[in-house]
Amino acid sequence: MTALAARMLRHRPGSSIATLLALALGALILTAMGTLIESGLRYTPEPVRYAAADLVVARPDTTFVSREFGDTHTSTVALPEGTVPVALTGKILGVDGVAGIAVDDDITVTGADGGPVTARGWGSAVLTPYQLVSGKAPAGDRQVVVNSGVAPLGGPVDLVVGGTLRTYTVSGLVDGPRVAFFSDAHAAAVNPRSGTVTAIGVLAAPGTDVAALQTRIQKIAGKDVAVLTGAQSGVAERSADRSAATLLVQVGASFGGYVIMLIVFVVAATIGLSVRHRRRDLALVRAVAATPGQVRRMIMAESALVGVIAAALGVPAGLAAAHWLTGELTGRGFLPEGFPMLPGAVAAPAAAATIVISAVLAGLLAARRVTGIRPAEALGEAAVEPGTAGKVRLISGLIALVAAGATAAAAVSGSGQTALGAALGMLYLFVLAVGLLAPWINTAAARLLAGPLRAIFGASGYLAAANLRANARGTATVLTCLVLAVGFGGSVWFLQNNLERQAVAQSRDGLLATRALVPADGLSDAAIAAVRAVPGVRAATPVRHTSVVLPLMGDGEVFGARAVDPAGLDQTLDLGVTSGDLAALGDGTMAISETQASTFGWELGQNVPVRLGDGTPLELRVVAVYRNGLAFGDIVLPRTAVLGHTGTGLDDEILVSAPPSADAALAEVAAEHRATVVDSAALTGGLARDLALSAWLNRLLIAVMVGYTAVAAANTMVMAALARRRELAVLRLTGVTSRQVKRMINAEQLGLLGTAVLLGGVIAALTLSSVVRALTGSFVPYVPPLGYVTVLGGTAVLALATTILPVARLLRVPPIEHMGIKE
Amino acid sequence: MSVQSEPAVRVHGLTRVYQADGEPVRALAGVGATFHRGTFTAIMGPSGSGKSTLLQAAAGLDRPTEGSVWIGGTELSTLSETKLTELRRGRIGFVFQAFNLIGALTVEENILLPLKLAGARPDRQWISAVVDRVGLGQRLRHRPAALSGGQQQRVAIARALAARPEVIFCDEPTGALDTNTAAEVLILLRGIVDEHGQTVVMVTHDPVAASYADRVMVLADGHIVHDMPQPGAARIAEHLAALGRRPADPAGATR
Ligand SMILES: Nc1ncnc2c1ncn2[C@@H]1O[C@H](COP(=O)(O)OP(=O)(O)O)[C@@H](O)[C@H]1O
Ligand SMILES: [Mg+2]
Repeated sequence: MTALAARMLRHRPGSSIATLLALALGALILTAMGTLIESGLRYTPEPVRYAAADLVVARPDTTFVSREFGDTHTSTVALPEGTVPVALTGKILGVDGVAGIAVDDDITVTGADGGPVTARGWGSAVLTPYQLVSGKAPAGDRQVVVNSGVAPLGGPVDLVVGGTLRTYTVSGLVDGPRVAFFSDAHAAAVNPRSGTVTAIGVLAAPGTDVAALQTRIQKIAGKDVAVLTGAQSGVAERSADRSAATLLVQVGASFGGYVIMLIVFVVAATIGLSVRHRRRDLALVRAVAATPGQVRRMIMAESALVGVIAAALGVPAGLAAAHWLTGELTGRGFLPEGFPMLPGAVAAPAAAATIVISAVLAGLLAARRVTGIRPAEALGEAAVEPGTAGKVRLISGLIALVAAGATAAAAVSGSGQTALGAALGMLYLFVLAVGLLAPWINTAAARLLAGPLRAIFGASGYLAAANLRANARGTATVLTCLVLAVGFGGSVWFLQNNLERQAVAQSRDGLLATRALVPADGLSDAAIAAVRAVPGVRAATPVRHTSVVLPLMGDGEVFGARAVDPAGLDQTLDLGVTSGDLAALGDGTMAISETQASTFGWELGQNVPVRLGDGTPLELRVVAVYRNGLAFGDIVLPRTAVLGHTGTGLDDEILVSAPPSADAALAEVAAEHRATVVDSAALTGGLARDLALSAWLNRLLIAVMVGYTAVAAANTMVMAALARRRELAVLRLTGVTSRQVKRMINAEQLGLLGTAVLLGGVIAALTLSSVVRALTGSFVPYVPPLGYVTVLGGTAVLALATTILPVARLLRVPPIEHMGIKE
Repeated sequence: MSVQSEPAVRVHGLTRVYQADGEPVRALAGVGATFHRGTFTAIMGPSGSGKSTLLQAAAGLDRPTEGSVWIGGTELSTLSETKLTELRRGRIGFVFQAFNLIGALTVEENILLPLKLAGARPDRQWISAVVDRVGLGQRLRHRPAALSGGQQQRVAIARALAARPEVIFCDEPTGALDTNTAAEVLILLRGIVDEHGQTVVMVTHDPVAASYADRVMVLADGHIVHDMPQPGAARIAEHLAALGRRPADPAGATR
């Protein structure tokens, strides 16, 4: 059967090229996504810093426990900068079998070259271990040990510590990862955290059973912290890598899963189409003596064969794409520099297997139609398929449609995350409904359009309407693909535009400050005091960007938060408070955006559980709910809440409200603190750039998906166009002129693509407006003018390239050549 | 073979109703006929009279609405699609008006296809006898597209003979051929009946073609209206003309 399949394939490669293209592109996407998943899943943080420690006490994650219907659900999230109390050291030292301990203060300072350097106490050098190459250990608060080559022994080194430039003398040199060692006392003194350190390294006494020691220390340390062996300790030093790994798995899995569904659908459609076009051949094989099972197996063998070829083409391309993607992700800050991406040794064969299986599965779906081919058709004249589609399909389509309607209602009436979820569900359901109902939609559209097409195109329009009706089932795939592309692309792509636009608008309206100080690394309290002392400055608000972990439906989720000094806030920032008052933002309180308040179901005055980025649990009272969350973050904390809980202890910007006359003095202060003064427009511009950057990945994925569906639609259209040579020849021999045939094709395209764009557009508009309403309160979404042009222009190009041009080529050949008895 | 009295094909009370745009069309209205071994029967009638429908039902390519079909001693209505296919493979051959061959396969592969699908080992001697008989020894490695219409029909006949079936059905096998080529094909069919004792049932609209047969059945509106042993071309034409309303459509039901 395989041999016969291969022969038939070679003889008519045209009908399989569409399938091949769809599968090869699918293989490319799946391999790239697979590489992301593989790199994320198999990521194990290599221990470096604590590799020589016997045990490490740290807090790499935080755990949420929730009880629901008697079931205990635990969820663990990586903490952005988890810490443990220094106070634990005393207790640990008392544990039997502990020979010594060393704390890692882990302070981020700025090196002479402007890059960040990790500064630690010399006592923690044994944990890695670092050994002196020359010189001696640092002492006092003016000596430092640095990597060889950074500065000569005994020479001066400039470091910015806690926002102040300090000059140290190099007392010794070490080899190894970039580091700066202070004396233990100095490290503790400049540690911005209050009473906490990143990790406590434990050295066991010789002959101690480390596993037993681990248990003993865990017992006294409590369950909030982790006691790790040196080999496991990578998790305690690489929180950025770990969240990147999670991101890779999430992106790869969600997108890859979606693409698999798309591939099966598209490939089933193209194989289905090639089966339709070869109906007579297949009927002949049946008549000559193939059982239905043999023909089905032949089609599956054929799909598997195409799948194998597609995998051979697509997988290497996918590996190249993954390589490119890694570079882009790293360049755009989605991946930390040096994140260990794997070459796809598992992803590549897995993607290849998925493609072949998808192809066989799609072949199986398409082959079911073969049962409907009567062998007698081989004798027959027209070899047309009976036009009715199944009842099951109709009923499923109607169910999907009703479900879509119900979700639409939920999306329009709900709020926050609920409305967002409902809007996306609605999108999927609508597209599913269209896919299932496509034959009936096409028939109905053909009936409705018969009048207008005839009025515009005359006799050609009449023929076009007849063709649309007759091919209602054959063009179902085209309709579905286009509705998917327009509906999905239109809503999700433009959603990004709406978010960015709204955020920029909020930032423009909400920034009352006229100037801002933006530092190279961070701004210290001294800088704030200096700004406030500038004559004419009415208010100065230091803002610190940090993260908090919030419990969302039993799972911990990391949210960006801003910590601000409430004094004078009303003169620098208008968050658009809808209830409560920011004046009350003091110790033990917080403010939250409307969107997240409704997602969490938190109300004004409620006490809510919040964990800071280092894992400290707080109970905060909501004192204000505000509108401008897109521009200023969803959580606003008083700055006092995070003091001593962030890695640098510095602020990320200072918003200043001052007349232009203060500019010169501000610039001086800024220069002194290695910062620059920008106006509020520049600050808003920076926000827009950041948003565009974080939207890049979403945009890329949407573009890939829309591109894929467009290619699928194009594929099926080209196949359909080329399969019409005989029909067009008959028309021309009957006396229809080439010009009329062209007009007929134009009219058909207008009818089919018009219907698709209209349906896709309506679905996109519905989704977009309910999402935009949930996020901004306004029902009217923004669509950039170029957006309309792209959708309509893209569709027109598609019609032109896939049907009108191929048909024009067919028409250049004398019709009689296409009429031959020989096929 | 001649010892057996059992006919090669027998149909009884055949009715076939098609649904065309929701309207029932009665293509056969209770046809009964018996085709004996070693005979050559022509089925004639005006276009749309049900000739092809009768042939397809008798050959197990299509299932009748009512009535029964026996191939040798086997009644077809109870067979599953797969069993029916297996029966067709071994005991029935076909030749259609056109599109008989699979373009992807060579002449030889086309001839051997039914055997291959059946997983049977071809009887080399018989195959080469068949190939000689149809005179295509030189063309075995060619693709059908390189052959003339008459040659293609001869390949189809060779394929029909390959499995030594009990009966060969032909639906207007000369419909697309010129007079000379048609004659070659008809002589070939006549020859395999005379020399190998094959049974052939052939639909045709051409009285000359029908004159090669031992017996001519004429259908009209789904009924058998005449059943004549060796009538000769002139008499056939007369009978057809007597059917009056429409003479045999020279273009046949197809194209
Ligand atoms: N698949 C079909 N669907 C509907 N009607 C059919 C079908 N095949 C044949 N018919 C109708 O049945 C009648 C007999 O057709 P057929 O057996 O092909 O006639 P003939 O071969 O004698 O020209 C005709 O009226 C024809 O229109
Ligand atoms: Mg016929």
